[in-house]
Amino acid sequence: MPGGATNLLAALLALAVAGPTLVAFVARWRVSFAPLLATAVAALTFVLSLALWLAGGAALDAPWAPSLGVRLAFRFDGLAALYAMLASGIGALTIAYATRYIPDHLRHQHRPPRAGAIFWPLMTGFMGAMIWLAAAQDLLLLFVCWDATAIASYFLIGFDRERGVAQRAALMALLITGVSAICFLVGALMVRAATGTLDVTLAAERIEPGAFSTVAVALIAVAALAKSAQVPLHFWLPRAMAAPTPVSAYLHSAAMVAAGVYLLARIYPLFLAAPAVQGALVVVGFASMAVGSVLALGSDEFKRLLAYSTIAQYGYVVVMLGLGGAAGLAGAAFYVVAHAIAKSGLFLTAGVVTEATGETRISKVGGLGRPLWLLAAASGLCAAALAALPPTVGFFKDELFFKTALTGGSLTTALALAGAMCTFAYTARFWIGIFLGPRRARPIAWTSSVLVAPIVVLGVLALVGGVVFGPLRSLAEAAGAVSAGEPTPIALGYHLDARPENLLALATWIGGAVLAVGVMRGSAAIGAFGAALGQFGPERAYDAALSGINALSDAIHDFEVRDLRSRIATILLPAGVLVLLNFWVTPNQGAFDPGRILWSDVPLLLILAVAAAAAVATAVPRDHLSMALLLSGVGYSLTVVYALISAPDVALVSVLIETLFALLFLGILGALPRSLLQRLAMQISTSERKRRDAIVAAITGLAAFTVCWGVLSKPAPLETAAAAQIALTPSAHAKDIVTAILADFRGLDTMGEISVLGVAALGLIALLGRRDAR
Amino acid sequence: MIVATAIAVAILFGAGAYLLLKRDLIRVVVGVVLMSNAINLFIVSASLRRGRAPIYPLPPDARVADPLVQAMTLTAIVITFGVSALLLSMVYRVYTSHLSLDLDDLAAAEERAAAADDREAIAQAYAREAAERDRLEVG
Repeated sequence: MPGGATNLLAALLALAVAGPTLVAFVARWRVSFAPLLATAVAALTFVLSLALWLAGGAALDAPWAPSLGVRLAFRFDGLAALYAMLASGIGALTIAYATRYIPDHLRHQHRPPRAGAIFWPLMTGFMGAMIWLAAAQDLLLLFVCWDATAIASYFLIGFDRERGVAQRAALMALLITGVSAICFLVGALMVRAATGTLDVTLAAERIEPGAFSTVAVALIAVAALAKSAQVPLHFWLPRAMAAPTPVSAYLHSAAMVAAGVYLLARIYPLFLAAPAVQGALVVVGFASMAVGSVLALGSDEFKRLLAYSTIAQYGYVVVMLGLGGAAGLAGAAFYVVAHAIAKSGLFLTAGVVTEATGETRISKVGGLGRPLWLLAAASGLCAAALAALPPTVGFFKDELFFKTALTGGSLTTALALAGAMCTFAYTARFWIGIFLGPRRARPIAWTSSVLVAPIVVLGVLALVGGVVFGPLRSLAEAAGAVSAGEPTPIALGYHLDARPENLLALATWIGGAVLAVGVMRGSAAIGAFGAALGQFGPERAYDAALSGINALSDAIHDFEVRDLRSRIATILLPAGVLVLLNFWVTPNQGAFDPGRILWSDVPLLLILAVAAAAAVATAVPRDHLSMALLLSGVGYSLTVVYALISAPDVALVSVLIETLFALLFLGILGALPRSLLQRLAMQISTSERKRRDAIVAAITGLAAFTVCWGVLSKPAPLETAAAAQIALTPSAHAKDIVTAILADFRGLDTMGEISVLGVAALGLIALLGRRDAR
Repeated sequence: MIVATAIAVAILFGAGAYLLLKRDLIRVVVGVVLMSNAINLFIVSASLRRGRAPIYPLPPDARVADPLVQAMTLTAIVITFGVSALLLSMVYRVYTSHLSLDLDDLAAAEERAAAADDREAIAQAYAREAAERDRLEVG
């Protein structure tokens, strides 16, 4: 690898962290400077990614947590380049769009411009996380970046803080993608257990097929599918449309949902050990296509239609990854880019239409093609790309899709054709519904060239990509090669012959047009069907689970805050139970050593027994004076223990402390009125209460026993830090080594200890000195 | 010997936990002291290296008890004393302000105080609302 490219990669990764930080500070200082700076950061990131790709990529590897084998390993390969350019390119365009959109959005919501300060660092921070994610090679590093994107998405969806809908949607997206991310973590650790490494490439070389590997890979796939909003974890995506439009266009069409299929492509070599999971991908992909398509056909809201369409489109990609092969793997990469260009353009279009007319539904607008001709043309190109019309880039995405589907047999081909027809139909309905037909919306308020320009760029890209498809093809081939581990050549081109892909494309257009006409007549019926589907969908299960967990949490909280006792019990009991569970489930052959008892230990045993007996006696209810004396008994027996195990310093201090404490205790008992003490001593607990306390105490004691025994059973190290201190003591002019440690070697600790005592003494004076009762 | 020490620690700790769950605040403090004692015993026995007391003059090649663990235990004992002394004085302070050391009484008093706070907050909210209404009507 050339050194220059490595420096470039380091610069790119540094910019991904430094950019958002800088934007955050500038946004705090002058909120009006942040939008331009954020756009510049995104554009610079894109330029750096492009330069790095043209320089041939690079790799960086640094230890992170060497004892765990976790490394900061990055490799800017074809897959990384594709997703990095996708995230930064679409990011730059949507952020540029947002420079105009967000201030207006805040004004419509009657919020101060300062409220936008959080938006810019979050958008650039999300982009930075995607850059790191794209280049990461270590599974744990991937997981960290993965969660960073989820957190940024949470705050961006909930940007309109005052709206409850937005808050609930943000929480739902965070829970679905965050909880499934735990599956990713577990799967990654299982891969590490099976192969001994967290590096994706190394793990793929070492992994063996089997049930364990299948579960591990399946867990990672669950996280990826949830992120890409695949059935049955798709329902968070339509809700996430509560976010401002630039967020929807960026995170929820191009970047965050793409992270899911990116992960599948990244871990693709692991699928060799888990063919069942790869097969399941095909099923999930087709299910998502079906659900997304039907719901998209029936929805009236622009953004919702586009969100359902995103579910369906990522279903295509998942199917392609499931079927694999050169066309499938390189095609999936190609598809993601083509879809991102088209879909973000359509999202931004929806945002402009809503800003211009105040309407969010197709049935409320129409005929906007004449006044907004530039927008209509640009978004028409994006729509054509989504509907796979030549000569846009979208034509090839469907060509590759059909090529892949043909390898799967006649059933997959038929399903693919049906899916493509639906895509054509709802895309046509979206564009025709907005721009053609009678005008229903009130007159246009305004349009801004800043809002339309990014859409024009995307539309032009969609068109140019369909004519000059070489660069994108080579990028997709390089990305596919990373997944496949071998070159994945894809031949693209327009052919005027009766090859199967062309026939399928033709069938798509005809069938799609017929379907579109039918849908525009009967969209209400399909909408009702979609609503009925939503009633019984997995969203119900999510709601039930959420309210159940909430109720459980409330119940525990109500018990916990009742008084001090229940608070203590809620700490002691779970802690004890968890320790015992851990003891029960972990293999502990030979971990516990009963130890040997020598004749010389008998006095020690006896005095330990006395201490234990005194402790038990202290716990038995009786008057406070005897309790104080028994407590002192425990303390003095321990003093003898210290003396017996050759710790004279500890024993001497213990005598002093026990005496002082006994005096203080008796003094306080003397200061309290006798009637109060008698009343307290006479308290009789119910036998049920006593039994419950005894059970909690027994579990706590047992847990302490297992921990203590387990720790003491560890063989003592032969060389300890103490050896050096024993040797050093004469040079500190001391005879007592413990004194030397306290006063000299660890003198700072002792100073801290004395300060604690000093503060406690001050507290004592303050608390005991005041005699005023209320 | 290991298991015997572990049993002793566990009994001290369990007895402490039992007292911690009592209604009587003095017993709660005693429970804390017992648990601290258990932990001190645990720390000091973690040395495992039994031998001569770590005080010079030592014969060459003598087995010496681990002085580091002893120093830590010593620190722990002193800190425990500071904490338990403070706890005891807090118990006394609770008595002077509430005239009771029974947790049930204290919890009831806390609830009464919270209810009073709520009433005050509601009254304030009403007052604010009325003031707002007046302002709007005047405006």
